[in-house]
Amino acid sequence: MKLNIDEALRYAGVRGEPTEALRRQAEAVAEELTAAVRPRYTYRIFELQRRADGFYLSGADILLPGESAGRMLAECDRAALLACTLGAKFDAMLRTEQARDMAQALLLDACGSAWVEAGCDEAERELKARLPGIYLTDRFSPGYGDLPLALQPAVCAVLDTQRRLGLCVTESLLMNPGKSVTAVIGLADRPQAARIRGCACCAMRERCTLRKGGKHCGN
Amino acid sequence: MGIDFTSGFIILDGAMGTVLQQRGLPPGGQPELLNLTEPALLAGIYREYIQAGSQVVYANTFGANALKLKRTGHSVGEIITAAVRIAKEAAGSDAQVALDVGPLGELLEPMGTLTFERAYDLFREMMEAGAAAGADLIAIETMTDLYEAKAALLAAKEATSLPVLVTMSFDESGRTFTGCTVPSMARTLEGLGADAIGLNCSLGPDLLAPLLKELCENTRLPVVAKPNAGLPDPVDGHYDMGPEEFAQALLPCVEGGVTILGGCCGTSPDYIRALVQALAGRTPAQRHYDDVSFVCTPVCPTRLDGVRVIGERINPTGKKRFQQALLENDLDYILDVAIQQEDAGADILDVNVGFPGVNEAEMLPRVVKKLQSVISLPLQLDSSDPDALEAGLRVYNGKAAVNSVNGEAEVLERVLPIVKKYGAAVVGLTLDKTGVPQTTGERVAIARRIMDAAAAHGIPRADLWIDCLTLTVSAQQEQARETLEAVRIVRHEMGLQTVLGVSNISFGLPNRPLITQTFLTQAMTVGLTLPIINPNQREMMDAVFAFRLLSCEDKECRAYVARFAGQSPAVQTAPAGSGALTLDDAIIRGLKTDAGRLAREALDKEDELALVEQHLIPALDKVGEGYEAGTLLLPQLLSAAGAAQSVFEVIRASIAEKGGTPVKKGRIVMATVQGDIHDIGKNIVKTVLENYGYEVIDLGKDVPPETVLQTVQEQDIRLVGLSALMTTTLPSMEKTIQVLHTLPEPPVTFVGGAVVTPEYAKKMGADYYSKDARQSVEIARKVLG
Repeated sequence: MKLNIDEALRYAGVRGEPTEALRRQAEAVAEELTAAVRPRYTYRIFELQRRADGFYLSGADILLPGESAGRMLAECDRAALLACTLGAKFDAMLRTEQARDMAQALLLDACGSAWVEAGCDEAERELKARLPGIYLTDRFSPGYGDLPLALQPAVCAVLDTQRRLGLCVTESLLMNPGKSVTAVIGLADRPQAARIRGCACCAMRERCTLRKGGKHCGN
Repeated sequence: MGIDFTSGFIILDGAMGTVLQQRGLPPGGQPELLNLTEPALLAGIYREYIQAGSQVVYANTFGANALKLKRTGHSVGEIITAAVRIAKEAAGSDAQVALDVGPLGELLEPMGTLTFERAYDLFREMMEAGAAAGADLIAIETMTDLYEAKAALLAAKEATSLPVLVTMSFDESGRTFTGCTVPSMARTLEGLGADAIGLNCSLGPDLLAPLLKELCENTRLPVVAKPNAGLPDPVDGHYDMGPEEFAQALLPCVEGGVTILGGCCGTSPDYIRALVQALAGRTPAQRHYDDVSFVCTPVCPTRLDGVRVIGERINPTGKKRFQQALLENDLDYILDVAIQQEDAGADILDVNVGFPGVNEAEMLPRVVKKLQSVISLPLQLDSSDPDALEAGLRVYNGKAAVNSVNGEAEVLERVLPIVKKYGAAVVGLTLDKTGVPQTTGERVAIARRIMDAAAAHGIPRADLWIDCLTLTVSAQQEQARETLEAVRIVRHEMGLQTVLGVSNISFGLPNRPLITQTFLTQAMTVGLTLPIINPNQREMMDAVFAFRLLSCEDKECRAYVARFAGQSPAVQTAPAGSGALTLDDAIIRGLKTDAGRLAREALDKEDELALVEQHLIPALDKVGEGYEAGTLLLPQLLSAAGAAQSVFEVIRASIAEKGGTPVKKGRIVMATVQGDIHDIGKNIVKTVLENYGYEVIDLGKDVPPETVLQTVQEQDIRLVGLSALMTTTLPSMEKTIQVLHTLPEPPVTFVGGAVVTPEYAKKMGADYYSKDARQSVEIARKVLG
């Protein structure tokens, strides 16, 4: 599992090439973070049923409605639900760092976003290894396209994330601890085209200034 | 007949959820509703467990709290009454029924927004319903947050007289998801009066065994194990241990001292049957309790088996800046003082907020919560007001210390019950109504009196710390020897921990650090274990490090070498040869230490206002311009803000010393709106605004519109900044603005945050959209000047 420093620096609002000093500062923060916190994840695989109102995950009693899920899962007969979090320890580190040094805190926050993504990548690698001959779609999260954010509590309940990861969903559908991701990954028996990149599965999705301006960091 | 946890083995039940899923219920639903719809199914499962050998069954009430039941249309009382009745009818006289109490489903402060008090109320509602329905005992389980476990345990103890089991879930690393350690859990919950404690869920018995052994060493209570049937397969959710393997894997736990056993996820009546068979003919193992003095927070277990430094700086006595901070409710300042002491190597922080004009019983718990949101060190609550002590202990997360009681009977009778109830350690001062004794003998006599009183209240000896009192050596020279001799007797003859505030010793003498340091070394040599000192004073901590080395506590001299090796110039100094560093440069380059030092020097020549107007703000403006032009990045802007903050602190301290009015340009209320819990964006804006001299009243995160309105009205606020990060919380931003617009003269509002756009801002009726911290400063300038 590797924390992508360039990604973290982008999250911290760095455009173009950072100064050497800033990169070193970010690397030091990343090193401290990755030594202190490991992303945890859990996933489960469910059969998909095509219904008029969307894809139904039987066994989870969850319906994935809308065009986005339809497009992503078009060739799939199963899907994995995934949850990944840095846990409460990261939030505690971030609170302390905010009281100590806001610049460091900003970098820690950004590194945390990159680190939880690294955790999701690791979960995907594990899933691939478990399922030889099966191909994965890009992962996508509640809130992506027209996939409702309101699915969050059901996804967390079915994955039992409070017990397994210490991960809760608040009434306003925020995940707590803060650096957490839930995602759907379609499983198919033929290679899946990369339908999305970056934003949809990105932890910064909701607060990315580039995205707000209609751009994304891939271009 | 109540159940006796202390003799023989007690067999609990296995999983309820797993068995329900085996019978076709999908995962993720709300199993508590089955109490109303499927009583026969549940009764059948209880009977199977009892037939398999369970002496206690857990009623189906794990998630029957008001938060989780909110959308079901059923009340806590209704569900719990039904659940306990079903279980009791099924159990008859063959088994006891436990009210099962799981986590509330939302994280408590500071991780989440659920307050400790609200959590207590939610649990209390369950406890009352369970007791009324006739539950025989209470089982609080699957807790991962010690704070939540404490809220539940207090509720159980205060609302009922039933026995209480508390079990928490740990992972292989020996920590819960929130970082709680086994010793912290064990000693905190035992102190709070649990009847048995243990571990459940998360792992199989094989992986729990070492943690259970550690638990047994850290408590005198009976220990519970209710593990999973191994680990779940991520693909299909099945657990990997069969009944026989499960039962065999539990035997090492039994040999480690566990006497109360059952199963959690993945187990069924077959597992309980196998367990009963495996236990046949066995007797409980001998236990070995490690009777060490101890205080902790969840993440920082602190064994008092060497010299531990108590930091004395959180105390307003004689500190004008601190007094001002207290009167202004400036908890961030107190936090800074705490962080400095933690960084300087303190092990425990004394917390005293007593000052005329401050309501201690209200302030102490607030400060405790604030400190514990950021600092991991255990706290020593220091007050002469028993109500303040109780209020502070109640909200403290972990095992705290109390400073102090003395030999006066009334004080002992008033404070010791509070110490006992919350399982704290307590400092006993060797003085009484007649004042500070002049001889060793009198000091020791008072110490014995306090020890007897503590024992009578059930407070273990390990939790009593005696302070033999330091007097000023220049006034009463022979007293230093008396103090030292008393310390020796209390430590080595009575076997108690010893506390001593040492700074007093040198009052009125030249070269005070030398006398204080020497006295500290003398005291540690004769048996002082808990010096109360200023850890920021290098000489004091040097003496502690040297003593730890010489007394073999610092193995292989590691800590000492680490302290004095790398003694190089501070990291943040400017490179040599670049000419003298100016204050402006130091701020622009984000050199905190230099900026603070240069500000102090500048105050010799200029007044505070000139420093702000002619250096601080122009420097920050330069940084801001660079940021806007793209030559400086956000981290650099924030580094400059950090340096500016240290300049501001110098200015504030200087003004407070002179008793003048602080430099303040105007007040701004800031809040992350209701429902939103991510507040780093708001905090960044706050930091930068404060460095321009604005006073920011920070209402925090998840702030209801009414709170914003109330603050604006009460404090006559002209500018309000709101932040939101999620599309789901934009409506509460809009609502807050609407509520503010009901005022005859609404304040100016500016909004920001990831999902906010200029168009949204306009639509919501906000006066300004602020894209970043820099723009917020421009808005504040326009509105407040």
